[in-house]
Amino acid sequence: MKHLPKHLQPRWRYLGVELETWPDTDIERRAFQRELWYAAQDLIGDAGSAALDLTVYTFEFEDGRGGAVVRTHRGETARARAAIATLSAVDGDPVGVRVRGVSGTARACEEKYIRHATEAPEQRQVVFREAEYDAVVRAERVDVRTDDGFSGVTDLDCQ
Amino acid sequence: MYEAVYAHPDGGSTVARQALTASEYGFDGIVVRNHGDQAAYDAEAISASYDIDVVDGIEVRATDPSRASGLVGNHRSRRTVVAVHGGSVDMNRFAVEQPAVDVLAHPMAGDGDVNHVLVKAAANNGVRFEFSLHDVLHETGGTRVRQIQSLRKLRELVEHYDAPYVVSADPRSHLDLRSPRDLLAVGETIGFTESQIEAGLAEWQRLTDRNRERASSSFVEPGVWIDDE
Repeated sequence: MKHLPKHLQPRWRYLGVELETWPDTDIERRAFQRELWYAAQDLIGDAGSAALDLTVYTFEFEDGRGGAVVRTHRGETARARAAIATLSAVDGDPVGVRVRGVSGTARACEEKYIRHATEAPEQRQVVFREAEYDAVVRAERVDVRTDDGFSGVTDLDCQ
Repeated sequence: MYEAVYAHPDGGSTVARQALTASEYGFDGIVVRNHGDQAAYDAEAISASYDIDVVDGIEVRATDPSRASGLVGNHRSRRTVVAVHGGSVDMNRFAVEQPAVDVLAHPMAGDGDVNHVLVKAAANNGVRFEFSLHDVLHETGGTRVRQIQSLRKLRELVEHYDAPYVVSADPRSHLDLRSPRDLLAVGETIGFTESQIEAGLAEWQRLTDRNRERASSSFVEPGVWIDDE
């Protein structure tokens, strides 16, 4: 179909979303999009979810960290933020999310708010609370593999 | 704005990791409020490394009010912020009647409930109700509906009696933390105003400043202090 004249095209806003999980979790774009729709639908219902029209625009995720540009209608950014904040797990694995900022174009959003992974995390042994554990180390962040899942610590806590 | 967190071994992340994440998210401080089982941490080193205030707190959890009373007495002189683990009618009633208690944490969790009598008592004694957004962020369906309903009930009572309150996402790990802006948006969606959530997050900070001032050696009583000059 012929595209709409410019003044009738929808106005979008792009949210730069930062994602963090434990290092053994992998999130795929489709799963993230699905959880996003469910989160919006659960919080503000079908009508609200349709009004937000949350769409994953760009997505990258590797080794427990990632970012996404999520598109929503102009004027709905507050509700979009709320819906994204209630996304607490993807496929049952806990996720930390934060909306770092909102832009008028996808490119500006990507440049300003999406941090690309610079270096791969390092696997090594650390001493935490007087015991030795396997850990995934990324700069000051250390995820320690304990008997009951991971613990989030930093370089201040371990040797 | 401050956030009140649970840290390892009470939660999945250490004080340092919570502080690092909270600092990135734009909080000015965190209140560590473990349920008693506290691993040692160096608040000053964490505070200096991550540019965030780290406040020593506790959330007293007890099965009955008489035991809680002893614990509150023990911790009051040692901790900056003393909260009581609410969520049952007995414990809610106990907490609001104790001026030594700063915060009644998650009063509406589990079987917890409040009424006008408790809210009036809390307003008189300066005990802050906590609006816990944890279940709003992490639950769905019926559990969340009931939680939002009970937050609404508490909010209406708190507004009517002008009782003090705090707001928190009750993060158990750094993955549970949400930024202040995101919490404002969630609050607005479930019927709070932006300024209420903002005031609730800032109240932790006001409380910390007040209690630190009270604990300082020059403090005599509110409005009276020893001047060194």
